[in-house]
Amino acid sequence: MGKENYVLEMSGIVKEFPGVKALDNAQLFLRPGTVHALMGENGAGKSTLMKCLFGIYAKDAGEIKVNGEVVSYENPKQALEHGVSMVHQELNQVRQTRVADNIWLGRFPKKGLVVDEKYMITETQKIFDDLGIKVDPRTKVGSLSVSQAQMIEIAKAVSYDAKIVVMDEPTSSLTEQEVAHLFRIIEQLKSKGVGIIYISHKMEEILKISDEVTIMRDGKWIATEPASELTTDKIIKLMVGRDLSHRFPPKTNVPGEDILKVEHFNTLYDPKIKDVSFNLKKGEILGVAGLMGSGRTELVEALFGLRKVDSGEVFVEGKKVNNKDSLSAIKNGFALLTEERRATGIFSVGDIRFNSVIANIKAYANKIGALNDKKMKEDTKWVIDSMHVKTPSEKTKIGSLSGGNQQKVILGRWLLTEPDILMLDEPTRGIDVGAKYEIYQLILDLANKGKGVVVISSEMPELLGISDRIMVMSNGRLAGIVNTAETNQEEILALAAKYI
Amino acid sequence: MKMKKILAGLLACAMLASMAACNSSSNKETQAASGDLPLIGVTIYKYDDNFMTYTRTAMENAAKGVATLNMNDSANDQSKQNDQIDTLIQKGVKALIVNLVDPSAAPTIAEKAKAADIPVVFVNKEYPEGTDKIDYDKCVYVGTTSEESGIIQGELIASAWEANKDAWDKNGDGKIQYVMLMGEIGHPDAEARTTYSIKTLNEKGIETEELANQSATWDATKAKELMETWLGKFGDQIEMVIANNDGMAMGAIEALAGNGYFGSDGKYMPVFGVDALPEALDLIEAGKMAGTVLNNPLGQGTACVELAVNYAAGKDPLDGTEWTLDDTKAVRVPYVGITVDNMDIAKEAYGLK
Amino acid sequence: MDKAKKQQITNFLLSYGIYIVFALMILVIVILDPSVLSLNSLTTILTQSSTRCMLALGVAGLIVLAGTDLSIGRMVGMGAVLAASLLQAPNFERRIFPNLPSNWGFIFLVIALVVVLLACASAVSGTMVAKLKMHPFIATLGMQLVMYGVCSTYYNWIGGSPIGSLNEDFKSIAQGKVIDFGGGANLSLLVVYAGIAIAVIWFIWNKTTFGKNMFAVGGNTEAAAVSGVNVDKTIITTYILAGILYGIASVLELGRTGSATNNLGVNYETDAISACVVGGVSFNGGVGTIGGVVLGVLLLQAINFGLAYVDVDPNLQYIVKGLIILVAVAIDMRKYVKKK
Repeated sequence: MGKENYVLEMSGIVKEFPGVKALDNAQLFLRPGTVHALMGENGAGKSTLMKCLFGIYAKDAGEIKVNGEVVSYENPKQALEHGVSMVHQELNQVRQTRVADNIWLGRFPKKGLVVDEKYMITETQKIFDDLGIKVDPRTKVGSLSVSQAQMIEIAKAVSYDAKIVVMDEPTSSLTEQEVAHLFRIIEQLKSKGVGIIYISHKMEEILKISDEVTIMRDGKWIATEPASELTTDKIIKLMVGRDLSHRFPPKTNVPGEDILKVEHFNTLYDPKIKDVSFNLKKGEILGVAGLMGSGRTELVEALFGLRKVDSGEVFVEGKKVNNKDSLSAIKNGFALLTEERRATGIFSVGDIRFNSVIANIKAYANKIGALNDKKMKEDTKWVIDSMHVKTPSEKTKIGSLSGGNQQKVILGRWLLTEPDILMLDEPTRGIDVGAKYEIYQLILDLANKGKGVVVISSEMPELLGISDRIMVMSNGRLAGIVNTAETNQEEILALAAKYI
Repeated sequence: MKMKKILAGLLACAMLASMAACNSSSNKETQAASGDLPLIGVTIYKYDDNFMTYTRTAMENAAKGVATLNMNDSANDQSKQNDQIDTLIQKGVKALIVNLVDPSAAPTIAEKAKAADIPVVFVNKEYPEGTDKIDYDKCVYVGTTSEESGIIQGELIASAWEANKDAWDKNGDGKIQYVMLMGEIGHPDAEARTTYSIKTLNEKGIETEELANQSATWDATKAKELMETWLGKFGDQIEMVIANNDGMAMGAIEALAGNGYFGSDGKYMPVFGVDALPEALDLIEAGKMAGTVLNNPLGQGTACVELAVNYAAGKDPLDGTEWTLDDTKAVRVPYVGITVDNMDIAKEAYGLK
Repeated sequence: MDKAKKQQITNFLLSYGIYIVFALMILVIVILDPSVLSLNSLTTILTQSSTRCMLALGVAGLIVLAGTDLSIGRMVGMGAVLAASLLQAPNFERRIFPNLPSNWGFIFLVIALVVVLLACASAVSGTMVAKLKMHPFIATLGMQLVMYGVCSTYYNWIGGSPIGSLNEDFKSIAQGKVIDFGGGANLSLLVVYAGIAIAVIWFIWNKTTFGKNMFAVGGNTEAAAVSGVNVDKTIITTYILAGILYGIASVLELGRTGSATNNLGVNYETDAISACVVGGVSFNGGVGTIGGVVLGVLLLQAINFGLAYVDVDPNLQYIVKGLIILVAVAIDMRKYVKKK
């Protein structure tokens, strides 16, 4: 393969948003018949770069060449027409319609004026047979499992006969077997000369599947290296820009008595939690692992009173409690840091004070309902100081802080409610590596103070690095609880696929 | 791209049209104001009311050369009307003509006017306790009584029934089997017309039997659908259709025509309305409608402007007019029953002759 | 076991609950007055449903897009007033425009004019929704007011009095009968038009690319966009299609009523939207069938007819209709909103 032989050349790409340079002279060169991994921390500019390729964003400067020709797509449709397709990270599917309708959306086959239903179904079946996917093209997407829907999405991207396929976190909801299936599909595509851009956080996966790796940081191109010459540590070093000798603070917490006991816990509505029993000790950090859609989030939401419980019992320090809504959960000493910080965590136009006191607002009201300004100010100061929030003042809008500082404010918000049990759903998502360390330290401090902490995470090293035990969820059920010191990634992944 | 251009064009047209409309309306006022005529504020309870539209036109005609009218649409909202009256008072009008949305709001309006010492002429909607009970000497009412329209309709039906009894009394029992198309429920006119038309008939010794009575909310389409329903249910049992207004009578006639009435075979149904709208007069002329009651918009419109102009000039409101006040400080513009024999009166009232 | 059964019953009630409510109400009406069951009643209901059906079919597409249209009634009013002013009987002495022709060619020209006018107006709403990302509620509320203002201005300009004495040829388009069963029962032309409209819209929804795109945009706009669907065009086209249906319905409504005022059509959107909701078109977008819409229109009109037939107090009729809509929406929410 000669150096000039690229199917995609992106060079000197610049994209500015008001106040931020999202892409600064970024570049990416993809050879046909190879897998090219694109890596970087959240906010490094991977998605922005892809959006520039697909015309979702207009680039401010730079050049994109496909097969040696300069292109500038105005929208995804044009990109698709020129053989550039994408598997999106969020499932972009019309759940109310059939699988075949989704596969052919935007390019329905026609017979005269009429959409050719028969062709649509048979062709879909052919594509699925080809890829070994066992789904009836006539079923509604809404009735498929998350991993099935993800495979459909992959099949769709492949079915465009694209020369370039972009896969953004394609394995986040797949079981090991399905991942293997995906890798077979990728091999198939490679042999046809398709170039694949593969975006993922999973180092092992990247090292296994990719031929080359491009690493980005702060919107800039950092390095492009053959995968064979890289190691996990080297990648992390390139992504973070410095050596990270200690990714996790030393574990100092000592678990004590049981604080929370959950027995035969079931929820009423889909996605359901089925017969989950576990315990949590004072001063313990309990990790929760599982694939996307395994019910991790649903479990903590149900415990916090946000989902309807069908049956089961919850005990706090031996006393039975009923968290029928979030208010009673807070009263019973629970706190929940939600997964989607932007959607369900922060009030982005509110200032830090508002964001700090909102969960505990009743505590500041006097007899006639007026709020005590002085006390709120004191407590906000406590949040900023004890959580090490870097902010100009308590009046700063939380939306203008970095992800890590936002997360610290929200953690502080929950500590103001003086909880005994903290449930943290993906506490380090979208936070850069340096700030992650601080969050880990805060979590450990909480455990040291005797609180029970539940941490949900998709990042296996994180769970292995900070937890005492790990419970693994699979398809709404509890697949097992393991001691962190005695387990490894393989065991956890195997458990995650137990009930699928 | 092409689409964009077309749409842009359309938007531009719409804007121009609206600007043109604004221009014409502001012109109107300046023109009149330049003549140094007294400014009289007018609020109409609802612009899309047919009868009030005629009254408005009559007001505008009567005001030509004697006063400038500032017209307002209260859009069937009393609080909006109150705001409009505040604005008019601020503007310094010399007199107010108020067509109330809610008749019981009269004292509130009078209070506002009294504070600014601006005389008020209420029109068409009367304070239920009587205008004389309002604590303001400079206010009068121009209109009719709701009952009267019912009574006149009853009298009209009675004389027509007596004249055509042989043909109209299909089952020969001497009673009128009728269906009633009511206006909006709770509307004083609807209630009064429904009650007094039948009461008058009965008082005149004519027996009646109500087959059905439903509200079509003054609306022709709804009336047509109700009539279709009734024709399906009662068929030839129906001997007469009585409607609270002409709009509903027209709807009923449309339904009847669709069911073979008023055709070449001579199948006939007497339909009575109220309002004497020009369209209704046409129907009467064509033999499809038996009669209606003229609620004289020309009389009411002219009268209230005449009174307001007198007030504005600081004179007694009745000065130099043909009107008189009754003991409730009201000028009663009489209703007239209209059949094919006396249509000219109605045509004149609408300025059709 | 017991739980599964309970679940089954719940699902059944969610799917068919609204129809059970209707069946019960119709049963009550029939018990109150058995004479309501007649061919005559049936054909009257069908005829009265026809124009409503076209309006419902129009707005149904917009609801599938997770939108709505509050301007339907005023659009119909605008079309009807315009058509009425142009289509008065040639021998009528007080014609608004005395010199207009009155032949068939002109009649169809006027109909086409009204259809084009309303399609354009609706396209403006659609553009505001698609390009300016306005909430359909606001965009069409604005359009409602503008339409009413324009219509009233025109109405006042031509005399401000109800416009009747229409061209008999024109009226025959709307009032004509195909088969007369005798005794007042007949299959009207209106029903035939409605049938054609149903067939055409069914075809568009189920058999064309546009129809499938419409469901995709309504179900998941983002997914449609990344799959290469022209979202804006789909939205605007749906609005134009609705406008065309409103235009046809407004002309037929005029022909059926025989006269028009600027108040014609007021609140027609409530009937049309409730029919869609009753027929299972979800306000959350992406879900709906033509069969459902037609059934919704027929059931609502049957109730309208039945309640008047048995002489139910009109105030009570409002309550009944309001409850029906609330029940329908409650069921819709239960069905489609993700339960936690």
